[in-house]
Amino acid sequence: MDPPSSAARRASVIAGHLLGPYQSIANFSSSPVTPSPCLNYSPPDLSEKPPAFDVAALRRILDGHHHEARDWLFHLMEESPLFCPRRRGEFTFVAPDYNQTKEQQRAATMRRIEYLLGQGVFQGWFTGSDPEAGMRKLALFECIAVFDHSLSIKLGVHYFLWGGAINFLGTKRHHDKWLNASENFQVKGCFAMTELGHGSNVRGIETIATYDIDSGEFVINTPCESAQKYWIGGAANVGKVFHSTHTIIFSQLLINGTNQGVHAFIAQIRDNEGNICPNVRIADCGHKIGLNGVDNGRIWFDNIRIPRENLLNSVADVLPDGRYVSSIKDPDQRFAAFLAPLTSGRVNIAATAVYISKVGLAIAVRYALTRRVFSITADGPEVLLLDYPAHQRRLLPLVAKTCAMSSAANFLKRLYVNRTPESNKSVHIYSSALKATLTWNNMRVLQECREACGGQGLKTENRIGILKAEFDVQSTFEGDNNVLMQQVSKALLAEYIAAKKRKHPFRGLGLEHMNDPCPVIEANPTSSTLRSTEFQLNIICLRERDLLTRYASEVSRFQADGESKVNAALLSYQLADELARAFSERTILQIFIKEETTQSPGRLKDVLGLLRSMYALTCVEEDASFLRYGYLSRDGAAAARREVSKLCGDLRPHALSLVNSFGIPDSFLSPIAFDWIEANSWSTVNDE
Amino acid sequence: MYRPPVPDPIASSLCFASSSCRPNRFLHCLNKLLAFDQGMTSFSQDGGNEAATDQVLVEGSRFTRILILNRPRQLNALSSQMIMKLLNVFVAYENDPDVKLLIVKGNGRAFCAGGDVVAVVQSVTEGNWTMGAEYFRNEYTLNYIIATYSKPQVSILDGIVMGGGAGVSVHGRFRIATEKTVFAMPETSLGLFPDVGASYFLSRLPGYFGEYVGLTGTRLDGTEMLASGLATHFVSSTNLKKLEESLSKVETSDPFAICACIDQFSKAVSLKATSSYNRMDVIDKCFSKETVEAIIVSLTLPICSCCKEKEAESVHDEWIMSTILSMKKASPISLKITLRSIREARRQGVDKCLINDYRLCCHILRQEASKDFFEGCRAILVDKDKNPKWEPSRLDQVDDKVVDRYFVEVRDANWEDLKLPARHSLAAKYVSRM
Repeated sequence: MDPPSSAARRASVIAGHLLGPYQSIANFSSSPVTPSPCLNYSPPDLSEKPPAFDVAALRRILDGHHHEARDWLFHLMEESPLFCPRRRGEFTFVAPDYNQTKEQQRAATMRRIEYLLGQGVFQGWFTGSDPEAGMRKLALFECIAVFDHSLSIKLGVHYFLWGGAINFLGTKRHHDKWLNASENFQVKGCFAMTELGHGSNVRGIETIATYDIDSGEFVINTPCESAQKYWIGGAANVGKVFHSTHTIIFSQLLINGTNQGVHAFIAQIRDNEGNICPNVRIADCGHKIGLNGVDNGRIWFDNIRIPRENLLNSVADVLPDGRYVSSIKDPDQRFAAFLAPLTSGRVNIAATAVYISKVGLAIAVRYALTRRVFSITADGPEVLLLDYPAHQRRLLPLVAKTCAMSSAANFLKRLYVNRTPESNKSVHIYSSALKATLTWNNMRVLQECREACGGQGLKTENRIGILKAEFDVQSTFEGDNNVLMQQVSKALLAEYIAAKKRKHPFRGLGLEHMNDPCPVIEANPTSSTLRSTEFQLNIICLRERDLLTRYASEVSRFQADGESKVNAALLSYQLADELARAFSERTILQIFIKEETTQSPGRLKDVLGLLRSMYALTCVEEDASFLRYGYLSRDGAAAARREVSKLCGDLRPHALSLVNSFGIPDSFLSPIAFDWIEANSWSTVNDE
Repeated sequence: MYRPPVPDPIASSLCFASSSCRPNRFLHCLNKLLAFDQGMTSFSQDGGNEAATDQVLVEGSRFTRILILNRPRQLNALSSQMIMKLLNVFVAYENDPDVKLLIVKGNGRAFCAGGDVVAVVQSVTEGNWTMGAEYFRNEYTLNYIIATYSKPQVSILDGIVMGGGAGVSVHGRFRIATEKTVFAMPETSLGLFPDVGASYFLSRLPGYFGEYVGLTGTRLDGTEMLASGLATHFVSSTNLKKLEESLSKVETSDPFAICACIDQFSKAVSLKATSSYNRMDVIDKCFSKETVEAIIVSLTLPICSCCKEKEAESVHDEWIMSTILSMKKASPISLKITLRSIREARRQGVDKCLINDYRLCCHILRQEASKDFFEGCRAILVDKDKNPKWEPSRLDQVDDKVVDRYFVEVRDANWEDLKLPARHSLAAKYVSRM
C-alpha cells in the first residue's frame, strides 16, 4: 500500500475530527496501518447508553427537597458577573477567582452577598420559623457552597451562628432589636467562641465577664494571650463598608467571685463607619490553605463594658442587683444549652459535604468517560478510564456512598428542623456522627477524584483540587470530627448502660436491633445473599451490637482496674472509634433502605438497590473489624470483596446517569467535565 | 450583565445563550445528526384531503422546498390539517436526498398567528378533551421534528409570529426577521402558557429576557428578535424575493454555506430607543425574582440607579406600567405555570420541554383546577369582550400545590405522556438549533 500523501493524511485527520471516535475506531479495525488520527472528544452524553431510569426522579430523591429553589439560585449565580463567569470553548463556568489576594476575595464575597440579598435569597432566613422555611434555607445554603465555601461560611457565621445565638440563646428583647436588622445585613454579626488556647473544650475558655453592680454593666476582659479569640469568621478586615459591627462573645461569667460558667453576650466591636471600638483590638488570622474569602480574625477585649441587657438570657440571667438566676439548675445541661447554635452548623456542614462530593464525582466520572489511556490490543483504540475495572473500583463505590449519604443528610435536616426538646439528644448524636462521617467522606472523595483526573485535577479551574483545600476545614470546625465521634460512642455507651441497668429494651437512635436475637451470618454467602437487604442489615447491625458490648465491657474492665470513668473511656478509644463508625454506617444504611423501599418497583428502584448493595458491601470491605472480630468468615469477606467488584461492573452503565442525577448545573462543574480538548486548544489561549 | 453584540448568526443559531452560563453539552454533535428511524414515513406526502393541501402550499426548485402557510384570512393559524401536512412533508423531505433546504413562510401579512385554538376549544366543549389533546400531541411532535431536523430550515418571519407560529420557526436553524415582524408569546392572556417547546428557547435567551417575554406576552419587533437571538438574521422585506431566489439555487445542506447566502442580504439594524431590550438591567433585576408575586412587587418598587435621570424616568415608568399591567391582565394560574415551566426548561432538553408542555396542556383541557383557557378563548377570541374572568382571580389564591399538579402525569387510565418519535439516540435530546 502506498504511503498516503500528506494532503490525504491531513484530510483523514480532519475527517476524524468531524466524524468522531466511532469512525476512527472503525478505521483501526479495517486497516490497522492507518496513522492514528488525533484524539478527539466525544461527549459522554452521546457515547453512553441512554439513561435506564428517570434521572430527574433520582435527583428529586437525592436533593430531597426544594429543587426548584435550588435551580433558581444556581441560575441567579450564573447570570451575575459577580460570580466570575468564564468562557472556555463553547462553555461558560462560574467559580471564584482564587488567584486573587485574600483581601480581594473577601471583598468579592461581600459583593456576592449583597447581590443575593438584593435578590431576596435570604428572605425568611431569620424571620421564617416553620420547618419548610428551615429546609429551604438549608437547600439554598448547599447551592451557595457549591459555588464557594467562603461565601457559604460568611453567610453561615452571620445567619447560623450570630443569628442562631440570638434566636436560641436570646429572648424577646434581643429578637426585636437584632433579628430584622440582621436579616437584611444592617447589622453584621460574628461569633467569638474559640480561643487560641481552647477550641473543642469550650468550657475551658479564659475570657472573663464580671458584673459591675454599680453601673449595671458587664466588663469583659481577655486576661492572657491564650484567651484571645481566634478564627473568628467575619471579625477581621474586609473593607470598611462590610466590616462586622457586632459579635457574640462566649465568656466565663464571674459574679461576686463565683464562676457561673460559660455565657454568651452581645458586644459591639465596630461603629457604623467601621472603626474599631475603644478597648477592642482586632488582628487578622492571615492567609489560609483555603477559605481566604472569609476574614478570620483574632480579638482581644480590654475590659470593655456592655449593658446588662446584652447577656443572652434564655438560659440564665443576671438581675440588676447581681443575683444569678437560671431555669436550668444542672451546670452541665446549662452548658449544653449554650452550644445549641452549633448544632445547626453541623447539620449544614454535613449536607454541604455531600453536595461537594457530588461536584467532585460528577467531574471525575465525566472525565473518566471521555479520557482514554493505553490500548489493550495492538493498534486498538485506547481504553476509556472508566472501562478499567480498577478505575471503576475507585470511583463507583464513592458514588454509591455519596448517594446513600444524600439520603442521610436529608434525614438529618428534617430531624433538625422538626426538633423538639425531646429530640435534642438524638439531634446532637446524629448531627455529630453524620457531620464527621460525611465530611471525612467528602475529603476522601475529593482526593480520589483529584487523583483520578491525573494532572488535570491539579488545575484550579477544574475545581476538584481547590475544593480539597477549601473544604478541608470541615473536618475540624464546629466540632473536631474525632472528638465528635468519641462523643457519639460515649452517648451510645450511656444508652447501653441505661438499658441494662433498668432492664429496658433499647429505644431510639436505631438501636432497637439490639433487642432482637443476635443475627447469624452465613459462612459462605452467595452473590444473591450478599445483595439482599436482610444480609446487609444483619452484618452491619451485628458489628454495631458487638462493638457496643465490647466497648461497654472494656470500659467497665478499666474501671474495675481502678481507672476513673473518664479515663476508662479514653483508654478504650480504639473501640470507641470503631463503634462510632459502625453506628454511622448502620444509620446511613437504614435510611437508604427506607428510601429504596418507598419507591414503586421499576428501574429506578433497581438502581437504588445496586447503590445500596454497593454502599453496604463497601462498608464491609473497607472495615477490618469484620474480620478482626470474626463477624465474617474469611471466605465471606473474600466473597464481599468480589461482589463489590461485580457491582462496579453493574453500576458502570449507569455512571453517567447517576452523576447527572446529582443536579449540579454544567456551569458549576469544570472544563474537564466537558470538551477538554476544545477548552485547551490554542485558539482559546487568549481567553484564559 | 454582559450583553453580546448582535450575535454572529451561525453561532447564535447553534447556541442561544452565548452570554449565559448554560453550556450546550451537545453543540458539537450538530452535524452528526439524526436518522429518523421511526415508521412515520407511512404518511403520504400529499397529506389527507384537498383542503389540507391548500392550507400548506409546497413550491420548490431543484434542491429547495418552500412551504407556504396558506390560511391568510386566519393569519395562517395552524389548523390540525396544516399540522398533519407539515408533519408529512418534514418527514418525507428528511429522507429525500433531493431536498437540501426547507424554507417556511406565510401567505399574507402573517407568518403564523398561532395554533387554531378556537377550533380546539370548540371540539373540547362539544365532546371529549382528548380530541384537543390530539391536536397538541401532533403539534408538539412537529415542533420536535423541527427542533431535531437534520436539514437546515429557513423561516421567513415577514409579519406576525405568535405562539404556534414560533413553534414551527424558532426551533429551526435560521430565522429571518424583517421590519414587518411582530413576535409574541401571548398565551398567558389567553389562560394558556407558552407551549410548543417555547420554554426551551425562552429559557435560553439572554439573562431573564425569556421570563419577561413569556410572562408579559410583550410584542417584539424584528430588531429585538435579532438582538435576543430569537432571529438569526434581519433582511429588509423588499429583499426577500431576491433572498428566496438566491436560496433556491443552493445545492447543499451545509449551514455555513446557507448562512453565507443569507448574510449577503442581511442588514445591520439597531434597537429603537424605547425597546424593551434596552431595559435588560431592569428585566434582570426584576424577572429574576423567585415568584411571580415577587417579580411584580420588584417592578413596583422604585428601582435602581439606571432611572435617576428625570427624562428617562417617564419613559421608564411607562414601560414598567405596561409590563405590570400585562401581567395583571393575564391569568394568575397561567403566570405561575409559565414561570415554573421556563425555569425548569433551563435544565431540560427540548424533548422534555415538549413532554412537559403536553402534560400541562392536558391538565388544562381537562379543566381540573381552572377553566381559564376556555374563559380566555371566549373573552379574547370568540366574544372579544377582552374581559376574561379568571378563576382564581388573584396570584395569592393560587396555591403552589395546585401548580405542582399541572406538572405531574394525568390521572386517566387511557392517558399517556407524549411519546416523541425516536430520533438519533441521545443526540436529539439536546441538539436543537437554539
